[in-house]
Amino acid sequence: MSSAPRSRSAGFWAQAWSQFRQRRLAMTALGMVGLLALVALLAPAIAGTRPIVCRYKGQLYFPCLYYFNPAWENPVFARDRFRQRYPRNLREKDAQSWAIWPLVFQDPFRRVAENEWEDRPGNPAGMEGKPSSMNLLGTNSEGIDVFAQLVHGTTIALLVGFVSMGIASLIGISLGAIAGYVGGWADLCLSRLIEVVLCIPPLALILAVLSILEKPTIWHMMAVIGCTGWTTIARLTRAEFLKLRDADFVLAARAMGFGWPRIIFRHILPNALAPVLVPITFGIASAILTESSLSFLGFGAPPPNPSWGTLLNSARSNMGMWWLIVFPGAAIFTAVLCYNLIGEGLQEAIDPRLRDAGK
Amino acid sequence: MLNYLVRRLLIGLVTLVAITFLVFGLIRSMPGNPALMRMAEASPDREIDPADLERMNRDYGLDKPWYQAYFVWLGNVLQGDLGRSFFRKEPVARLIRQRMGPTLLLSVTSLLLTYLLSIPLGLYSSARANRPEERVLSTGLYMLYSLPAFVAALLLLYLFAYKLDWLPLFGMTSDNHQTLSPSGKLVDIVWHAVLPVICSTYGSLAYYTRFVRANLQEVIRQDYIRTARAKGAGPMRVLVRHAFRNTLIPLVTLVGLTLPYLLSGSIVLEQVFSWPGMGRMYFESINARDYPVIMGLTLLFSTLALVGQLVADVLYAVVDPRVSYS
Repeated sequence: MSSAPRSRSAGFWAQAWSQFRQRRLAMTALGMVGLLALVALLAPAIAGTRPIVCRYKGQLYFPCLYYFNPAWENPVFARDRFRQRYPRNLREKDAQSWAIWPLVFQDPFRRVAENEWEDRPGNPAGMEGKPSSMNLLGTNSEGIDVFAQLVHGTTIALLVGFVSMGIASLIGISLGAIAGYVGGWADLCLSRLIEVVLCIPPLALILAVLSILEKPTIWHMMAVIGCTGWTTIARLTRAEFLKLRDADFVLAARAMGFGWPRIIFRHILPNALAPVLVPITFGIASAILTESSLSFLGFGAPPPNPSWGTLLNSARSNMGMWWLIVFPGAAIFTAVLCYNLIGEGLQEAIDPRLRDAGK
Repeated sequence: MLNYLVRRLLIGLVTLVAITFLVFGLIRSMPGNPALMRMAEASPDREIDPADLERMNRDYGLDKPWYQAYFVWLGNVLQGDLGRSFFRKEPVARLIRQRMGPTLLLSVTSLLLTYLLSIPLGLYSSARANRPEERVLSTGLYMLYSLPAFVAALLLLYLFAYKLDWLPLFGMTSDNHQTLSPSGKLVDIVWHAVLPVICSTYGSLAYYTRFVRANLQEVIRQDYIRTARAKGAGPMRVLVRHAFRNTLIPLVTLVGLTLPYLLSGSIVLEQVFSWPGMGRMYFESINARDYPVIMGLTLLFSTLALVGQLVADVLYAVVDPRVSYS
């Protein structure tokens, strides 16, 4: 806003951002998360067995989109019986065709066979699958490339964090807002509900809910993690609303005759959001952790699914394959560490008491 | 105070009923009939006789809708009967008693280690605040805090059990445990417990150390610390006698909140190490649809959680005279 007078002081969020920016670690972590998001977005272009772009029989296609959603694969390839083998089929069925291939020719869902790519050996399996120039991070017991699985698993890990915490914040903020603003009976009932959910060990509750589903997919898992992880957010929102509901600006809004939805969402919520943001960030870290522990316990989406936890789970029955422990473990660790660092930076940036403490 | 306690206990009872009601409904809606599963396990190739199935359903209380079955269960619990496990054919209470020991062994050892190590570490890192050695320590602890326990467990297992063969790979006892002398038995169990204890300790150690340090940092800015320094108390004395004693309040409340975790154990860690504890029993009974065991454990976990919160609040009033509930 160039028309605003120069002397106007920075808003709360601008101040928090400038505080946050001074924290080197938190900024590095934010950059790392950005990088992970980039990897997740470009996963089919980094590792895959389908061309990013190809020209086939006079038409342009993007077969790599299959990795985001199998339905996005053009039916022409099914009609021409490609059977997931692009390099040779493209050449044989249309001599004029060309294709741009992903950086690494490996598939996260199946073992790459011999000569699938000209003169390239098939993936080794089991103890033979040590990291090599063909399989950068080795292969698992079925011969599926670990690097490809890790890259495609990034999508799952990031989605789990955002979707489940999105659900949790939606539930937590609305219930907390109602409990704090309305008070009385609503507060009593909702506080009891929070206590009920809080008293069952989280993983135990999630396991019980997940067992209800016949065939849980990754989306079910996100929903369940979200539906059980909202208690901290609700409690904090409630406390903020209790504090703010008698504030002068709320009284003013009420005096102007605004209805309660407008007061809650337009007036109180923006002022209550900052402290709630911290548990949400930490919640993303713990959601990623929960998802990988569930997949690790074998409760996740059925394989082949390239979740980091599933990879770790396969290490349990193949203790000698250290590459199945180290690389997925490092991936989970990095993601969790980054969100924890961001959460911490955020906490220090928006809490005036901590601002000057730990720079 | 008494008034407050009674009110809290009554509210707690209502919460407990709500929790068990909710979980009972949840587990009864899981797919898979335990009676059917049990019969399939007993004689996989025999046709299932409908009359048999009906009899088993009746025995297990599966013929009633779940809300009716819940009140039957609640009535039994009030008479001190948690029911019998579908699969092990043993009373749930006895099963829980069997599994309690191994879990307590891990959690109590780990809690003691955590306190013994984190308080000196916390004191050390606030005394040396912002020096290079403290930076290294704090960063290391922070990294540990973000390292998932099951990743650490797998790494340690690979290194010490698989590669070096120093420590056992899984379980709480060796195969020849029964033949060992009493001291040999003890050594055997300690040997098996080393890795699980390390894995369940390091995370909370990192958390508690940061907690102690953060609290000390806050206390150290108070006026009475300046007064203590001004009157000539040495840095050690100021830190321990004046500052640390005032950080005990949040530490004590934390004890109450960790109470439930002493008994519930860690599902993931007990699963990795095949440790015969409560967490593993919960996991197994979920997979086997063993309703009475799931309900017994849920009741135990949530009672402990509620008691833990109450203990934390009461301790708060005990250690801090400014807080009172009357």
